[in-house]
Amino acid sequence: MTRFAAPAALLAVLYFAPALSGPYLLHVLVLCYLYAIPAVGLNLMLGYTGLVSLGHIAFAGIGGYTAAVLMVDARLGYWSALAVAVAAAGAAGAAIGLVCLRFRSHFFMIVTLAFGLMLYSVMNNWDDVTRGAAGFPGIPRPPAFTTLESFYRLALTGALAAFAVQWLVVRSDFGRILIALRQDERLAEAKGVNATLYKTAVFALGSALAGLGGALQVSFLRVAAPASFNLAESINAVLIVIVGGAGSLAGPALGALLFVGLPEYLRVAAEWRLVVFGALLVLITLFAPRGIAGVIDDGWRRLARRGR
Amino acid sequence: MAQALLEQVINGLMTGSVYVLVALGMVLIYGVMHVLNFAHGVLFMLGGYVCHFFFTRVTGSYVLSLLLSMVVLALVGLAVERGVFRPLQGNLRNQVIASLGLILAIENLVVALWGPNALQLRVASTETLVALGELRFPAHHLMIIGITAVCVALMFGFLKWSKLGTAIRATSQDRNAAMVVGIPVEKVDMATFCLGTALAALGGALVGPLFLVFPQMGDAPMVKGLAGILLGGMGSVPGAVVGGLIIGVTESVSTLFLPTDYRDSVAFAVMVLILLGRPQGLFGVRVRGEA
Repeated sequence: MTRFAAPAALLAVLYFAPALSGPYLLHVLVLCYLYAIPAVGLNLMLGYTGLVSLGHIAFAGIGGYTAAVLMVDARLGYWSALAVAVAAAGAAGAAIGLVCLRFRSHFFMIVTLAFGLMLYSVMNNWDDVTRGAAGFPGIPRPPAFTTLESFYRLALTGALAAFAVQWLVVRSDFGRILIALRQDERLAEAKGVNATLYKTAVFALGSALAGLGGALQVSFLRVAAPASFNLAESINAVLIVIVGGAGSLAGPALGALLFVGLPEYLRVAAEWRLVVFGALLVLITLFAPRGIAGVIDDGWRRLARRGR
Repeated sequence: MAQALLEQVINGLMTGSVYVLVALGMVLIYGVMHVLNFAHGVLFMLGGYVCHFFFTRVTGSYVLSLLLSMVVLALVGLAVERGVFRPLQGNLRNQVIASLGLILAIENLVVALWGPNALQLRVASTETLVALGELRFPAHHLMIIGITAVCVALMFGFLKWSKLGTAIRATSQDRNAAMVVGIPVEKVDMATFCLGTALAALGGALVGPLFLVFPQMGDAPMVKGLAGILLGGMGSVPGAVVGGLIIGVTESVSTLFLPTDYRDSVAFAVMVLILLGRPQGLFGVRVRGEA
């Protein structure tokens, strides 16, 4: 019973945060949630399956722009547009993943990088549909969620849904097969696992989650800009996953909280914050490859042992 | 038409030469250490900034600044190799992730120190025009092509005849065998990294006067250099040269038929198609059971 007490208490606090805190904190928390959703998708790919994608946020862009076009140009209802946007990002992930997954290690990374750059170039240059570099303005928020307080609850629900999906995947047979593929793909294949099928599935699922994050983001900001979906943002997503703890359930949340929250708290200029995070990323790979989640886990175990 | 084509070919050879300088460094480092250094582009950019610093603040001589920036970046490369890539040897995933960390740290350090705006590097050779038939080019274009050609020739000579060059080739062929015959592979790693980053710095310092010096100036050359390496065959030095030039020329000539906005996508699409169709590249080197 105590296992669920702490998460339940945290959830209650998060859901009632709008009553307790000012708009500034809410705004920061919404950004955290919006960064965490695509990071969950990347965590499934990078952390659990071992697929280092360097173009992940481009799929958030597919979700964001699909939502924008459907909501503004096609005048589709908000929720159906959101659903189609998530499905479109997932379908693009399946199609592009199928190509990328013909490659391994270095080459997989290079090809995902290339697709990320191509998708960004399309968002930046296809003026008739995406409005080009100036951005796509006038994206609505859903009818009942127009204020910051209500959108906060929507973003929190979205993030919780993403984490719930991650939890369900990881404890299912599908998740166990993904972990087996990361640990030893050849052995898993010898045991009869269709590696390409499972890796394509996780690529599609990860991209769909990215699409959800992208669609919610453009609707929160009310504008879709290509710069939100460029290579630097894809690198940031890798940063969030690795610093938080790749292959741990809470990793993306910790990473996003640190990435968005810490600089706001410290009030440092944007460029210094990325200098610090870049250095942090290097240090984590050198000294704490399991990220913050791993450090907390080790510390907790040590404490528990001492207590006995 | 022929005039326009010739003009684009010369332009393409110029940008291609820059890609060659980036690709050479990346291919040497990949061959010897099996590291794919995505941070090579920001080192290229840092080379441009260091050259700008020496040119405007210390000495008024462009050539001297160019050489100094190569020396400084060689030292930066040394620090990066010893501090980051060597401890992560053998862990490919973490090496790539660390190189992403380096991109963030170095690019934003430059923004913090020099500001986000592009800087001008005023050099006489960009303003003097040279006539080539009926066309006129800035002398700087031809200088880039010439310097790259000399570098490539020196590099081939160095790899073929010098002791260190032979050690580099031996290490990239088989690291363990090289160790067995007494080659100090860790020193070879350091030398290769210094050489690679110095070449990147040369590229950045050469491009600076033409296209300004700005924090993202290394992004495109890094990706194009990578495309060049893949085209030539991962791990092949001649392949990197030919591949870089082909990417440069194709991209320039494609502007005659396609909107310039999509110029970059052409290079990336070519890259993916090559990998799908002929993953060993034009020169057919297959390194260590990859792909």
